[in-house]
Amino acid sequence: MTKSRSDLKKIIMDTRTLPTLPNVINKLNSLSDNEKSSVQEMARIVSSDQVLSARILRLANSPSYGFYRVSTISNAMILLGVNVVKSLALSSSIFAIMEKDSIGLWEHSLGVGAAANLIANKLGLPECEEIATAGLLHDIGKVIITIKCSEAEKDILKLAHERQIYILEAEREIIDTDHAEIGGWLSKSWFLPDKLSEPIAFHHDVAKSKNHHIKTAVVHIADVLICASGFGNSGESFVPPIQKIAWDTLNLNEQLLAELINEIEDRLVEVKAFCLEMIND
Amino acid sequence: MQKIQLILAKAGMTLARDVFRGDSPVGMPICGKGTELTEALIARFESMDVHNVYIEGHPIHVEGESSLDDLLLKLDYRFSKTLQEPLNLIMYDIYKAYLIKSMGGNSDQIAE
Ligand SMILES: [Fe+2]
Ligand SMILES: [Fe+2]
Repeated sequence: MTKSRSDLKKIIMDTRTLPTLPNVINKLNSLSDNEKSSVQEMARIVSSDQVLSARILRLANSPSYGFYRVSTISNAMILLGVNVVKSLALSSSIFAIMEKDSIGLWEHSLGVGAAANLIANKLGLPECEEIATAGLLHDIGKVIITIKCSEAEKDILKLAHERQIYILEAEREIIDTDHAEIGGWLSKSWFLPDKLSEPIAFHHDVAKSKNHHIKTAVVHIADVLICASGFGNSGESFVPPIQKIAWDTLNLNEQLLAELINEIEDRLVEVKAFCLEMIND
Repeated sequence: MQKIQLILAKAGMTLARDVFRGDSPVGMPICGKGTELTEALIARFESMDVHNVYIEGHPIHVEGESSLDDLLLKLDYRFSKTLQEPLNLIMYDIYKAYLIKSMGGNSDQIAE
């Protein structure tokens, strides 16, 4: 019934077993190893898939990024970077599979993306777009659990509810791994760079991040904030503990946090509107 | 802060966000946040295709919307596992104050 950890890992590391990933992604992945492939070439490949392009552009124009009107794929590649566009292609395809069943998780993810972007901006960090993208993708492992082991997912939610424990703890008991680790495997199999895969893999355990602990800390804090706000629904009923290492890494203090919360709540009004629009389309 | 339809806007309310022609945030705002609304200003917005405005506080009650007390109860529940953590307590206090302010005050739960 329940798949073992190594079975799960095998399934996830093999992108072919993920349902209907657009062919474009495979082309992109083979290109990214080739140093010579230009942004124009990548943009041309992505643009050949109209549905995918539309999804990418929609996300590129979401409140997770601060741009007005990103109207073409090459525009998005220039503004957001090739890796971000690739991540958007992947995440929109993955999320599209479960579409209407996962509105709560979509809202949570977009909220964390927006919050991560605001935090990164406020702290004057470089690569805000990457940080926002890591926020958007941080719980992608949960989507994979839903798609790949829907039975186990029900058990996880039931256990978390019965024992009033965190989803992460329930996941470890039932599938011997958790959505953060799965997200890490997944980003490896997608050839995402460390600056995206580390925040995804370690957003619940910032100390484990080796090379990108600042980005990981931002995503962790953004996740806690969105949970605290009660925005969207990640399946989690309780706000996780804020990790001291993340707080210290970002030099947070009460005043800064209060300002951030005001700004985030402001932005969440837009995220909500964005999600409603998406559902109604 | 509350997003309301312009037809519900009244003189005396304070804008929480800049207002743009046709509700689209491109170009220059036609009125800045912090401005107190007047009848004349509302009429001007009408003529410029503005349909929604963001207002300070929470002056309009919407059917089916949670009350401040509901929101505070839910907040308490979400934090019920972590209130003994000093950093979470800081976050909780900020959110509580934020909710009270954004809903315009008045709750049985405000003891202090
Ligand atoms: Fe998570
Ligand atoms: Fe999360």
